[in-house]
Amino acid sequence: MAASVKTLALRTLCASTRNIQHVSRGRVKHSCCPAWVTVRRGYSDGTEGKNTHFGFETVPEEEKAERVYKVFESVAEKYDVMNDAMSLGIHRLWKDTLLHVMNPQPGLRLLDTAGGTGDISFRFLEYTRSMHERQQRQKARSSQTPSWRDIADNYASNQTDLPQSRAVVCDINKEMLKVGKQRAEKAGISTGLSWVVGDAEELPFDDDQFDIYTIAFGIRNVTHIEQALQEAVRVLKPGGRFLCLEFSKVSNPVLARLYDAYSFQMIPVLGEVIAGDWKSYQYLVESIRKFPDQETFKEMIEDAGLFCVKYFNLTGGVVSIHSGFKL
Amino acid sequence: MAALIRGLRAGKALRGLASVAVQAKLSSQCNRVRRGIHRAAVLRLADDFKSNSVSPPSYHEVHTAGESSSSSTQGDFSNTAAGKEYGQPNTSYQDQSGEHDEDYETEEQLQARILTASLEFVPLHGWSVEAIAAGAETLSLSAASTGMFNNGAGDLVLHFIAECNSQLAATLAEQQNQIQLGQAEPKKTAEFLRDAVDLRLRMLIPYIDTWPQAMSILLLPHNIPDSLKHLSTMVDDIWYYAGDRSTDMNWYTRRAALTGIYNTTELVMVQDSSPDFEETWAFLDNRIKDVVNMANTAKQVQATGEAVVQGLMGAAITLKNLTGMNQRR
Repeated sequence: MAASVKTLALRTLCASTRNIQHVSRGRVKHSCCPAWVTVRRGYSDGTEGKNTHFGFETVPEEEKAERVYKVFESVAEKYDVMNDAMSLGIHRLWKDTLLHVMNPQPGLRLLDTAGGTGDISFRFLEYTRSMHERQQRQKARSSQTPSWRDIADNYASNQTDLPQSRAVVCDINKEMLKVGKQRAEKAGISTGLSWVVGDAEELPFDDDQFDIYTIAFGIRNVTHIEQALQEAVRVLKPGGRFLCLEFSKVSNPVLARLYDAYSFQMIPVLGEVIAGDWKSYQYLVESIRKFPDQETFKEMIEDAGLFCVKYFNLTGGVVSIHSGFKL
Repeated sequence: MAALIRGLRAGKALRGLASVAVQAKLSSQCNRVRRGIHRAAVLRLADDFKSNSVSPPSYHEVHTAGESSSSSTQGDFSNTAAGKEYGQPNTSYQDQSGEHDEDYETEEQLQARILTASLEFVPLHGWSVEAIAAGAETLSLSAASTGMFNNGAGDLVLHFIAECNSQLAATLAEQQNQIQLGQAEPKKTAEFLRDAVDLRLRMLIPYIDTWPQAMSILLLPHNIPDSLKHLSTMVDDIWYYAGDRSTDMNWYTRRAALTGIYNTTELVMVQDSSPDFEETWAFLDNRIKDVVNMANTAKQVQATGEAVVQGLMGAAITLKNLTGMNQRR
């Protein structure tokens, strides 16, 4: 009896490793995949389906993308309101910090993946616009008394002078993009912004297109994180920067207990009261727990081929910004 | 026993609170970086050979063990060794694009290259992140790569200073070589110091218009340790090649004197508008003469003091002789 169970277990493990190699399309790096991932994926009934986590549930991989889509479809309307309620408005500070870490020069192209309602893109355009204005002012100050020749040259070059920064918001969910477009119209931001439907694991862009790739609070919803990282590396220009803002592990045990209590007791309740959706917010807090911690994620980013990978913890580790460069 | 365990847990919690602030700084830097580079090298080779060969990973294991034991940041030696091993299949030395070179140079070397390329934009943009962005673009890297430099303009200035100092040290070493080979005459100390400071300050001439901005960046509190370190190693180098092997108080006084000379001459140079900075060199000559005079005066004072003391002793003994107190009865 024991022997047959053992052979069954061995067979499922062999089948799962075969599946993984098939899925990875001959990429070498899965040989350095940690063992626990193979074990987790192995517990199917020996057929082709692999499972992954959806919050604390285990679901087949194909289902996860669909269920995530449904979650965000239902929360799209109240997404921004819920963000403010759940994080007590601190999410704005997190996103502002992401922009400060990014410190973008004017004229760069941003790809805001899982950008949803466009928070990062709006901030990016605002930041580059004010930086551009500051540079213009400094230039004007340094040339206080321009000669008539300089003035004439200025007239000629004024039209083509502006290096236009452009932001592309890419999201798999049309509802979120719709909400984002409405926000953009209300705020009056129109130049330099595009809205594209796309899957983070298979971006609809050519290689070497973007200077900066950001994914804010989106990567934990992706089924295959390594593929999303590979796609990020693909669409980034040489020298381009990858930035990820995501919930992460709190290191301090006191804070961790408070944070856990708040997450599991308060947030689903808020979800039910404000958005009328308990299950989506239950998924949200569970998916945060399932996401790898700072060091593990940093190693995953390095494995994808990015260099100078660093992370910055915000609010004691509740959120962390990972940054890497394609060199 | 239980109290001990509770105490340990409390200590851990407190340490956790402290480490939260330090988290960001602890990540990145040398070893992980080089592991990333090697992994990239392994990946590219595996793609080239289209096989899951075992040998590169094992070499890679040996190499990371070797690298983690070396504490220096000059990792280019081991990297070029790796490059030589892997050099055979990858014959892309002609290809100067950043992606291929990354197999054979560390991130520090790439950062150094970007900063060197940025120096030519300093007269236009000043010592700032815009200059670094322009420099990165000449290397066909996106301007987003300025994010690699946490200190922004400070990194650029410190890099420039480090370059100037190493250039100075190389020139002084070359001169010493010449003297040892007998092809040149050894200089007197004052003249040597003057020439060394002259040489070092002339390296600032291309950037002299924006140098006040650079000096103010160096005076920012988080840059002061690094700038002091560069200044002190430069002064130490100059005195070493001038032949100073003192082990007493002289070591400190000499370096302090030269630091003062250098800093004041730099300040004079920044606001000097005479042709080819003649006034600066005149000022430098005067300061060196002052220091030499001071040294001579100190020696004279000491000699005079000794002579005076001996004279007084002699007078006292004579007096004792005269009064008859010195006789032994």
